[in-house]
Amino acid sequence: MTAIMVSTMIVLLLLGFPMMIPLIVAAFIGFYSMFGGFDQMNFMIQQFMAGIRPASLIAVPMFILAADIMTRGHSADRLIEMVMKFIGHVKGGLAISTATACTLFGAVSGSTQATVVAVGSPLRPKMLKAGYKDNFVLALIINSSDIAFLIPPSIGMIIYGVVSNTSISELFIAGIGPGLLILGMFALYSYIYATIHKVPTEEKATWSERWASVRNAIWPLGFPVIIVGGIYGGIFSPTEAAAVCVLYAVILEFIVFRALKPVELYKIAKSTGLITAVVFILVAAGASFSWIISFAQIPQTILGSIGLAEASPTGVLIAISIAFFIGCMFVDPIVVILVLVPIFAPVVESAGLDPVLVGVLITLQVAIGSATPPFGCDIFTAIAIFKRPYMEVIRGTPPFVFMLVLAAAMLIMFPQIALFLRDLAFK
Amino acid sequence: ATWRYAFEEAITDVQGVFATKFKEHIEANSDHSIQLFPYGTLGESADIMEQTQAGLLQFVDQSPGFTGSLIPEAQIFFIPYLLPETHAALDHFFRNSKAINEDFKETYAEHGLELLKMFPEGEVVVTTQEPFDKPADLDGVKVRVMTNPLLVESYKAFGATPTPLPWGEVYGGLQTNIIQGQENPLFWVESAKMYEVTDVITFTGHNNFTTAVMANKNFYDGLPAEDQKLVQDAMDSAFNYIMEYQKGLGERSLEKILEQKPEMEVVRLTEEQRQPFRDAAQEVEKKFIEMTGDSGQALLEQFKKDLKAAQAQ
Amino acid sequence: MSDNQSMRHESTLPGPLGWIDAWLGRAEALMLGAGVLLMAFNTVANVVGRFVFQNSLFFTEEVNRILIVMITFAGIGYAARHGRHIRMSAIFDALPTSARKWMMVFIAFVTAMVMFALTFFSVRYIGSVADSGRILPSLQIPVWWIFLWVPLGLAVTGIQYLLTALKNLVSRDVYLSTQVLDGYDDDETEV
Ligand code: NA
Ligand code: NA
Repeated sequence: MTAIMVSTMIVLLLLGFPMMIPLIVAAFIGFYSMFGGFDQMNFMIQQFMAGIRPASLIAVPMFILAADIMTRGHSADRLIEMVMKFIGHVKGGLAISTATACTLFGAVSGSTQATVVAVGSPLRPKMLKAGYKDNFVLALIINSSDIAFLIPPSIGMIIYGVVSNTSISELFIAGIGPGLLILGMFALYSYIYATIHKVPTEEKATWSERWASVRNAIWPLGFPVIIVGGIYGGIFSPTEAAAVCVLYAVILEFIVFRALKPVELYKIAKSTGLITAVVFILVAAGASFSWIISFAQIPQTILGSIGLAEASPTGVLIAISIAFFIGCMFVDPIVVILVLVPIFAPVVESAGLDPVLVGVLITLQVAIGSATPPFGCDIFTAIAIFKRPYMEVIRGTPPFVFMLVLAAAMLIMFPQIALFLRDLAFK
Repeated sequence: ATWRYAFEEAITDVQGVFATKFKEHIEANSDHSIQLFPYGTLGESADIMEQTQAGLLQFVDQSPGFTGSLIPEAQIFFIPYLLPETHAALDHFFRNSKAINEDFKETYAEHGLELLKMFPEGEVVVTTQEPFDKPADLDGVKVRVMTNPLLVESYKAFGATPTPLPWGEVYGGLQTNIIQGQENPLFWVESAKMYEVTDVITFTGHNNFTTAVMANKNFYDGLPAEDQKLVQDAMDSAFNYIMEYQKGLGERSLEKILEQKPEMEVVRLTEEQRQPFRDAAQEVEKKFIEMTGDSGQALLEQFKKDLKAAQAQ
Repeated sequence: MSDNQSMRHESTLPGPLGWIDAWLGRAEALMLGAGVLLMAFNTVANVVGRFVFQNSLFFTEEVNRILIVMITFAGIGYAARHGRHIRMSAIFDALPTSARKWMMVFIAFVTAMVMFALTFFSVRYIGSVADSGRILPSLQIPVWWIFLWVPLGLAVTGIQYLLTALKNLVSRDVYLSTQVLDGYDDDETEV
């Protein structure tokens, strides 16, 4: 059944079907063979609803809306202008800033999709204009946004902490090291890329120019202040921050700057709704596919046939990495964590592995798998928001996946990358 | 045959321990096998309930609190101080209560479910940032509750500000001070790491988190007599095990918490301090009857009778 | 495809069918725009209630859930209408026009059938939820109400794909949807 499901899915995908169809048809096949007919297909719809149920999902349309308002108005331009005055003269500076902005925004908002939208949509046009190739830009945005999985708050780590009975605080701290390591790798790659492709730099700005750009961006600088202050000040949750940003964006662009007319708000909202729907239908269809995989106990069957019991600690870590990487290529990360963590729990314990290290490694694999084709929410979000063909969105991915896999290998070889900060704080 | 059994917690939590015991008994005493589906692997509580009603799953563990949207009377378990506060009385109550073993059985049957067992999961405690021993101390304290009208009513009556927050945001919400408290059974405070982000655990005695295991009724009725007996025996065995397990669970959880966080403050409200909270429960009873009408009232009276019998033990 | 073209809610169907189709397009657009704005308003209102007035709005989460279902299922029909569903078209794009045309007829037809099948299953699912009598805890309304968009959105999407198949059969060019010619354009068009 698994083989037929996966091969049908890939064939339909390659033929050029709307991407919900491969997922839905694969789930159809699963349901049909599991229940011997169409009687229980209702539960596909139940899982569609379950897929789009999490309250945290609303951050996606809210950040799309806020980012679109900022980009069409003045806020985004003024912020980027300011950044350019400071780093425009550095080789690869804009790319490095984009990666950093994605990491920081993802860290605070907790949503990788929201990051793709909020940071990617204003910065992508600037990077294209500066001379970066689109496939590099898209891959950079998607992969840097996925660093957000590793940096607190991370819903994936919270779920892992609960399922595996591991300290969430320790996980949060342990994720920072690998997160920064990956950001460093991306920054280095950006520098090399800019050098090889001879991306031109701007002339170094004077301090008075820089100061003027800061003053010009003073209102839009309220965004980070509001988001960070509001979340850490206990006023709203990261999810709610998205809606508060919408409010601030509306106030700035429609009242303070008068850059947009009220009727445009409706247009922007409509386009937000469209992008949201296109991504969420895939989340919904993906949930029904995940459900049948889980119901049929396919992971248990596959993993049961591999003799993990005698593996060395490093062997277990590698097995975990591969299983989560493959799982997240096809299935929603949260479901992968919920299903696979209990399966691996006995071997993790018998191998004497630190559950915090395992948690960080799993979170890293989740990030890699989510950015890796064929399925990934951030890929879908990028396609929907930037209106670029699927192949172009993923074409620049390989170097990034290579760096992420390298980071995973380094983490397995040198666990201190993750555990150093944890030990400093808790031991 | 292969039977599927889904529950609302991780495999190492109370529902998971119960399910594992059940599975062991069935597999040791028959050729049947059980597949266990912990929290989230087949969806949320409402999803696995529907899947059981439709017969995709044979067994489901759902706490009556979550059943409330399907069977309003099940929300009776949210009324504070309706369950015994000592282990012995609790044990007697769950074994002998007519309300639980007869009245609820009929109600669940109307929804296509065979109620097999109800059992307590552990005393509900409140964790907060500041200590409290009277309702006035809770003034302005935002306590996260599930969006259930009775829970909301309870915490209002306790003097706090009940606040809804999706479960995934509770940990962060406590960290950043959106909320200043939450309630959960003690083992869950330990396993979901709520103690990492709060400073005080208060035993108010207002509830013991109750859960229920059910089978799809058509499936159960269609079983041959010896299989029905097998299921009942396995349930009894799991129940006996879990009541023993329960006895030390609270202390074990507390020990683990204090080991991880020695500065955690533990407050047990005295009988006298509990009285104002007990009085507040009247409001919640009223709300319950308002929501469920005569059938709710009858159930409530039976509950109180059973409670008296249990406390007489 | 210019901005104006894609913003218009004109149908390519004849007579009263076209009229219905055009109004459906407008209704979908309204659901999307209003749904997103309501979600922002609803969420901010809860923040203000909780932080300023010490009183959370208990229905906020449920209302957002309703809006998400509405946006998703009003949106898939609208996306189908404007050829915006995500697909991997690398192989498809490499085919000659005539092959692409037949391929598109096949894709659109199969997609329509899948959508109609899902419509049927969703009606059955809603029926079972309605029978169970389940209600939303804080709004105290039947749960099945919030799913009503689902069959509607799926059916509308199915019809759009069916029409796309027909459109490709009767015209010379290759159409991604009833209104959109194949080929990505670089303009950031507004839909
Ligand atoms: Na994060
Ligand atoms: Na993926």
